[in-house]
Amino acid sequence: MGAKILFNIVQVLVVMLCSPLVKGVLDRFKERVQSKKGPSIFQPYRDIWKLFHKDEVVSDESSWIFRFTPYVVFVAPIFVTLLIPVLTDYPLFFAFMGDMLAGGSILALAGFFATLAAIDTGNPYGPMGASRTRMVGFLAEPVFMIVFFTVSFVAGSTIPYIVQQAWITPLANFFEPAHVLVMLAFLMLIIAENGRIPVDNPSGHFELAMIDESKALEYSGRGAALMKWGGCMKFFVLLCIFLNVLVTPWGLADGASIGGLLLAIPLILLKILVFLVVLVAIESSLAKLRLFRIPEFMGAAFVTSVVAVVVQLIEM
Amino acid sequence: MNQLNALAGGLFILTVFGIVGLRQVIGCLRLFVMQSVLLAVSALILGIETGSIHLFAVAGLTIGTKALLIPWLLYRLLSHEIHARREIRQVLNIPTSLLIAAGLTIFAYFTVRPLLDINSSAFIRVNLPIGMGGIVVGAFAITMRREALPQLLGILTMENGAFMAGISIAPNLPLIAELAAAFDVLIIALVTGLLTRRIHRRVGTTRVGDMASLKEE
Amino acid sequence: MELSMVLLIPAVAATLAGIFGNRAHAAAAATLIGTLAAFLLSVHITFGPALGVHGRILGLAGWLSCDYLSALVLLLVSFVGFTATLFSLGYIGSAVKAKGLAGTARYWVRYNLFLLSMLAVPLLSQVAMVWIAVELTTLLSVFLVGFEDNPEALEAAWKYVVLTCMGAAFALIGVLILYWGLRTSGAGEFTWAGLTLAGPRIQPAFLKTAFFFILIGFGTKAGLVPLHTWLPDAHSQAPSPVCALLSGVETTTALYVILRLLPVLTWIPGHPAGTWSVSFGLISAGAAAFLLLQVKDYKRLFAFSTIEHMGIILVAAGLGGGAAHLGATYQIMAHAVTKSFCFFAAGATLLITGTRKIDTVRGLIRTSPVAGISLMLGGLAIAGAPPFAVFISEFSIIKAGLAAGHYVIIGLLTLFIAIAFCGIMYQINKMVFGRPPEARAAYRLPATCAAALAVAAIPVVLLGVFIPAPLHHVLKLAAFALGR
Repeated sequence: MGAKILFNIVQVLVVMLCSPLVKGVLDRFKERVQSKKGPSIFQPYRDIWKLFHKDEVVSDESSWIFRFTPYVVFVAPIFVTLLIPVLTDYPLFFAFMGDMLAGGSILALAGFFATLAAIDTGNPYGPMGASRTRMVGFLAEPVFMIVFFTVSFVAGSTIPYIVQQAWITPLANFFEPAHVLVMLAFLMLIIAENGRIPVDNPSGHFELAMIDESKALEYSGRGAALMKWGGCMKFFVLLCIFLNVLVTPWGLADGASIGGLLLAIPLILLKILVFLVVLVAIESSLAKLRLFRIPEFMGAAFVTSVVAVVVQLIEM
Repeated sequence: MNQLNALAGGLFILTVFGIVGLRQVIGCLRLFVMQSVLLAVSALILGIETGSIHLFAVAGLTIGTKALLIPWLLYRLLSHEIHARREIRQVLNIPTSLLIAAGLTIFAYFTVRPLLDINSSAFIRVNLPIGMGGIVVGAFAITMRREALPQLLGILTMENGAFMAGISIAPNLPLIAELAAAFDVLIIALVTGLLTRRIHRRVGTTRVGDMASLKEE
Repeated sequence: MELSMVLLIPAVAATLAGIFGNRAHAAAAATLIGTLAAFLLSVHITFGPALGVHGRILGLAGWLSCDYLSALVLLLVSFVGFTATLFSLGYIGSAVKAKGLAGTARYWVRYNLFLLSMLAVPLLSQVAMVWIAVELTTLLSVFLVGFEDNPEALEAAWKYVVLTCMGAAFALIGVLILYWGLRTSGAGEFTWAGLTLAGPRIQPAFLKTAFFFILIGFGTKAGLVPLHTWLPDAHSQAPSPVCALLSGVETTTALYVILRLLPVLTWIPGHPAGTWSVSFGLISAGAAAFLLLQVKDYKRLFAFSTIEHMGIILVAAGLGGGAAHLGATYQIMAHAVTKSFCFFAAGATLLITGTRKIDTVRGLIRTSPVAGISLMLGGLAIAGAPPFAVFISEFSIIKAGLAAGHYVIIGLLTLFIAIAFCGIMYQINKMVFGRPPEARAAYRLPATCAAALAVAAIPVVLLGVFIPAPLHHVLKLAAFALGR
């Protein structure tokens, strides 16, 4: 049991420490594809470090929610980390606390607070971005639910560790149409939820066109650092769910040895790296959608997930 | 094998939804090619499983006519301008039509349900509902689209759906019927393509959905 | 042998017309001779000894076959094909001159191919091949519908091809399910005869689903409501001789496939096929009767009348019983000869007045007695006035239905027929009588058009008062093929 708690701590540390790296690599990749030099892959660390050392400015008009939100945004992904397979393919000490739905709701809680905080300051761009984020969120919600239903339909459970096993035993299950379609739908969800192109442009600096970024505009100093870091971790956690549970349920530590655990760290980073290449390819080849076209994008994701259910139903 | 076939089927029905929802005309055409390839893949898998030479022929014919000849024909017949068109306004907005299409797929499943209870191999269970879904959603696409080429692709999608079901339920239909059906699809594309070109010349647009001079007052 | 010959003739005529190219007269002559030969050959097949002895002729190693029902359809197609050729000779010449169109030779090639596909429908015995033939009747006639090459004609052609191809895809899945059912029930030939034989062994679920899709699919092509929207457009925009073919016999060939399938399903308890046919038929007849009242275009008037007649035939065939079936076959015949005559009359009217609008045509009987009398005759005959053939067929259907106790259905049907009668006669009356709008330059109808009208009028007038015994025999046996 002691080992499991230790592993849990390692897992959380990996998520905390590696997530800015993922962001840095992604940014660099993208710039390189666009024939630019790009910032160093360690730039997010420097940004966070710099922000921690700056003074924080908080509007007099804002309430406690504004001050409290960065902590929620920072802590929520850490909680989710405890529930999902990041490094091990067996449940760790805290994994009994919830399934994938619980993870989703914890992340949603963070999103909820971020929305409230954006409205709190009275900055005109905040509520605009917040309402857009909610719109995307509303559209993403049914897809999330159907993806979970499909997953539980196939695997008979929503516990990520069980689901992960169900896809590869026997291996033929991996080619199950429901699985492939759910992967596709989930990929679209990750793009929408993290504000990537074609739903949102994460590197845009034009407040009127922002969806996700404008919520954190009012933060400075420590608050901004926590928001940024929390955002990185959320991305990392979602990637972990996507890769470790759905796409490549291999390469995780299966024993209790510390060596296996340490070996799993580069493997997950490698998987994420490969995925980032795919993501950059998607982002570089598509243009950002107009806001009113986003329902169509999410409609496509929804139909994909519904087809997954239908095909699963047909096959039964 | 069954899983691979089901995967082809699942992606097939996804391309059918694409024909309903995609704005770019050229994108629809590409989707149709993908759809035909998936149909051929399904025929190939069924052919390997059942050892039926007919199904290999169907796969070959599908690739030859629908994935190569028809797109080539349409490229040649129609000017670039028609392919580059986009449909800004469809009859219903896209999310709504996608939802209706999803509902229709489930409806299609229930129409063939009584048949599946009587006789069903694993392949029929997958191919028949998906083929039926392709037919029904294809018909829906024809009514939803206003551009000429997507309407034509809706017809061809319906034919593809019928074939998708056909390869599982009637794998040893006389080969001459299959040849004739493939030929028939080609004529559909040719005739409709020529007609589209003529409409484009005479009327100046291919938004056939807006042509409504003939109706009861 | 005769069966393949019938198909060979239009094919040869099409090739010749293609070879003659710009020499339109030669192409027309080839078509005229070809259709006449096909008609005579059909007469020979229908009334010849081979069919009389066996009740069935086989040809080309089982791919072609002919029984009394197919013979009836074959006879009608070839007859209308011949008269329409005759009418085309003058009509297309005038139309080309009037509108400055090129490509008369192309018209003849397409015309022959279209005729070929329609002749193939009743003769092919394999159900899958019949589907292809029906689909080809659409595809080969698209450019005939759009022949006038103006936006309206092209719009009509587009609606025609899109909707009927959509129907054909539905029919295709029906045919495939039928085949599946046949295979599941054991061996059996996938021909009409084989299906009728194997019918009781096939699970009802297969038959019902297959029939439903085929009814929708080919029903679209026969113009059944609510999938009829293309029909008035196509049947009004095409050149008149083509309209005669489309309205008179092409719809019949589509309906023929549905009728062929009915006996396969008769044994199912509750007779669902009959119920569906009757309901679709009633809806079509009713909707068409009411739509008739508000048309502004006299060719559309006849097109809606076609929908109504298809509905009546389907009701009669669905009700079942020997008498109703006889009424159905009689109605098929009466419709084909009368409706083609009506469209010839409409074509003549169009040539003389140059307009399709009912409101602008007045006093036709004074401007052109031939066209006026033809239109009056055609209107009376198609609306079902005694003593024409349509009256007798409708009367016998009503009588048979009442005798079998279907009071509600027959009551509704009679009501619709009455409404349609009033609708047609009201409009025709306005057009034929009254004062001509202004003195137009006298236009002489081409001699061939008048000849076609005369030839086509013979059965219209004759069949109401006198039916030759061999024809009656054919009708009776064709009706027998509708039941089990």
